[in-house]
Amino acid sequence: MLKMKQLGKVFHTGEVSTHALREVDLQVNEGDFVSVTGPSGSGKTTFLNIAGLLEVATSGEFLLDGDNVNLLSDSKRSKMRNQKIGFIFQGFNLIPELNLFDNVDVPLRYRGFDAKERKRRIEQQLELVGLASRMKHLPSQLSGGQQQRVAIARALATSPRFLLADEPTGNLDSQMAQSVMALLEDINRQGTTIIMVTHDHGLAQRAKRQIFIKDGRVSELTAVEGLHSAGLERVTPLHAHTVTDAARQLGV
Amino acid sequence: MFELGPIFRALLRQKVGAVLIALQIALTLSIMVNAIFMMQNRSTLMARPSGLDEANLFYLSNTVFAQNYPHQAALQDDLRLIRSIPGVLDATQINAIPLSGGGWSMSLQKKAGEGEDGTGVAVYMVDEHGINTLGVELIQGENFQNTDIRWRAASAVDWPERTIISQAMAEALFPGNWQSALGQTVYINNNEPMQITGIIKTLQAPWNGWDGVERSMLVPYQLEGRNSRYMIRTEPGRRDELMPIVEKALAESDKNRIIRGVQSLEQTRADSYRSHNALNRILLLVIVVLTLITAFGIVGLAMFSINRRKRQIGTRRALGATQLQVMRYFMLENLLITSLGVLIGVAAAIGLNIWLVSQFELKPLEPALLLTGVIALYLVGQLAVLYPARKAASIAPATATRSV
Repeated sequence: MLKMKQLGKVFHTGEVSTHALREVDLQVNEGDFVSVTGPSGSGKTTFLNIAGLLEVATSGEFLLDGDNVNLLSDSKRSKMRNQKIGFIFQGFNLIPELNLFDNVDVPLRYRGFDAKERKRRIEQQLELVGLASRMKHLPSQLSGGQQQRVAIARALATSPRFLLADEPTGNLDSQMAQSVMALLEDINRQGTTIIMVTHDHGLAQRAKRQIFIKDGRVSELTAVEGLHSAGLERVTPLHAHTVTDAARQLGV
Repeated sequence: MFELGPIFRALLRQKVGAVLIALQIALTLSIMVNAIFMMQNRSTLMARPSGLDEANLFYLSNTVFAQNYPHQAALQDDLRLIRSIPGVLDATQINAIPLSGGGWSMSLQKKAGEGEDGTGVAVYMVDEHGINTLGVELIQGENFQNTDIRWRAASAVDWPERTIISQAMAEALFPGNWQSALGQTVYINNNEPMQITGIIKTLQAPWNGWDGVERSMLVPYQLEGRNSRYMIRTEPGRRDELMPIVEKALAESDKNRIIRGVQSLEQTRADSYRSHNALNRILLLVIVVLTLITAFGIVGLAMFSINRRKRQIGTRRALGATQLQVMRYFMLENLLITSLGVLIGVAAAIGLNIWLVSQFELKPLEPALLLTGVIALYLVGQLAVLYPARKAASIAPATATRSV
C-alpha cells in the first residue's frame, strides 16, 4: 500500500523556490489502477518520481508498505525500487547498445537472481509481450510500440507490486497506444497496482481511479466508470475525496 | 552480481572510443615496460662498484711551466707535502683517473709473440702508495715495494717487470681459475715480460662504456713530465674540507707550476654517467607523460560516455541500481578496455624488447617487469575512471523521467 500524508516538494533554484507538490494526501491500495492527469508543469512527473522513490519529498510523510521512505538511505531506496516498483517511461528508456534480452535483464541483475532464474523471467516476460522471438534484436530494430512492450516486460520482470508509468503511450500512435493500454489493464487485472501519468483523457478514464494535479495540488475525480458518461472530464477539478463527493457535485 | 557480459556486448556496439583507448594503453605498456627495462640496465651499469674509496678521493693536475725543472725531486716533495697535511690518508701520482673517460690501455698476452691473442687492459701507473690511496682491496699477492718504482720519461716505451692486476683481468687471462694468475708471467708490447705479483678485487677502467671496464692493471711507474696528476685520499668526511687546503699548499710551495682541475672522484663519477642519468630521466619523463596522457584519455572517454548516457544511467538507477553498482559498471567497463589494451600491449612490449635485445645486446625483458607494468596500467585505469564513475553514480534516478 502507498500512502502520502501532507506531502510536499519544493525545488530551490538560486533564490527562487518552486512548489511542485503541495499537501498531497493520497492512498493507493493493492490492485488499484490510478491515472494521473493535469496540465504541463502541474507536478505530475514530480508526483510520479516521489511515488517511485526517484525523488524524496521535502515535507510530509510517504509510506510504502508501512515504511517511511523519506527516512531511507539512497541505497535502501534503490533496493526498494528494484523489489517493489516497476517503471515504464514515455521514451521507453531502453539501453540502445543492449539487445532485448539484456535490456530486460538489467533490473534482474540488480536484484541478484542467478542466471537460470533471470533467463526464465526474461523469456516469460518477453513471451507475455509477444516479443520472445526477437530477444536478440536491438531496440533500434523495433517499432515504438514494440519498444514500449519491451519496457513493460523489463518493468514486470522483477514481479513488482507497483507499476509506475510515465506517459506510456505518449510516443505511440493511437492504435499502438490502445494496444499498450490493453496490456496494462491486463497486468492490473492480474493484481499489479498501476499509477499512470497521461495526457490522454480517454486512457485516463479507463483507470479505476483518476487523479488530477494542478499547481502541485492533487484532486481525485472519480472511481466509478458510471461517472465518465456524466461528463466528469468537463468538470473543473475538485477537492473531492470520495466518489460520493464527486457524484454530488456532478448531480449524479 | 557482475555485468561483464552485457558490458562487453555493449562495448562491441560502440567500439571506436574503447579500441582507441585500448591501443593507447597498449602503446603505453609497451613503451613503459621497455623504458623501465632500459633504465634498469643503465642503473645496473651505474651501480657497478669502481673498487675505489670514492667518497674520500679527489685529484688535481699539476702543470709545470718553468724550464730546467727538477721533476723527480719536485714530485717527491709534493707527495711528501700532501701526505703530511692532517686529514690526508695517502697520495700518489697517477697517470689516469678511473671513470674519467681518458686513460691508457694496453694488451696483455700469456705468450710472447706478435701473433698471440691479447686481452685489453686499462693501465694505471702508481707508486707503492697507489693501492692504499685508491682504497682498492689487494686480495692476493703483495703491494709494490719502494724499490720496484721506476721513473718513466714521456718518451719511454719500456715496461717494468711487475704488475698487479684486477680480478676481472685475471679471470680474462685465466678463465675459471683467476687465482692461478698470481706469479704468472704475461707479456706486454708483445714480448716484454711482466710478472703478476698481486691481484686486486676491483678497479674500474677510465671508460664506463667499455665492456672490459673491470679489467685493469697497476704498474710501478712514476711519470716524469710537465703534466702530472695526484690522487689524494682523505679521512672519511674530510674530503671537501681538504680539497682547497691541498690545492693552496701545493700552489704556495712552488710557484713554477699551476695547480688546477681539483675534483672529487664522486664528481667524476657523476660526470661520467651524466648521459646515462639524463637518458634515464628522459625515459622516466616519457613514462610519466605517456601514463598521464593515457589516464586523461580514460577520464575523457569515460566522461564523454557518461554525459552521453545520463538518461541511461538514470534509468539504471530507476530500475534499482545502487550508486555503488553504477560505479562498478564503469570500473568494470574500464577493466575490459584495459584488458584489451594490456593484451595487445604485452605482445607489443615483447616484440619491442626482442628488437631492442637484437639491436643493443641487452638482456631479455624479465617477466616480473612485464607483470609489474600490467598491474600498474590496471591501477592507472581504475584510478583514472574513479572520478568519472563517481560522477556517474551521482546522477539522480529522476533523470530517467526528465529531459536531459
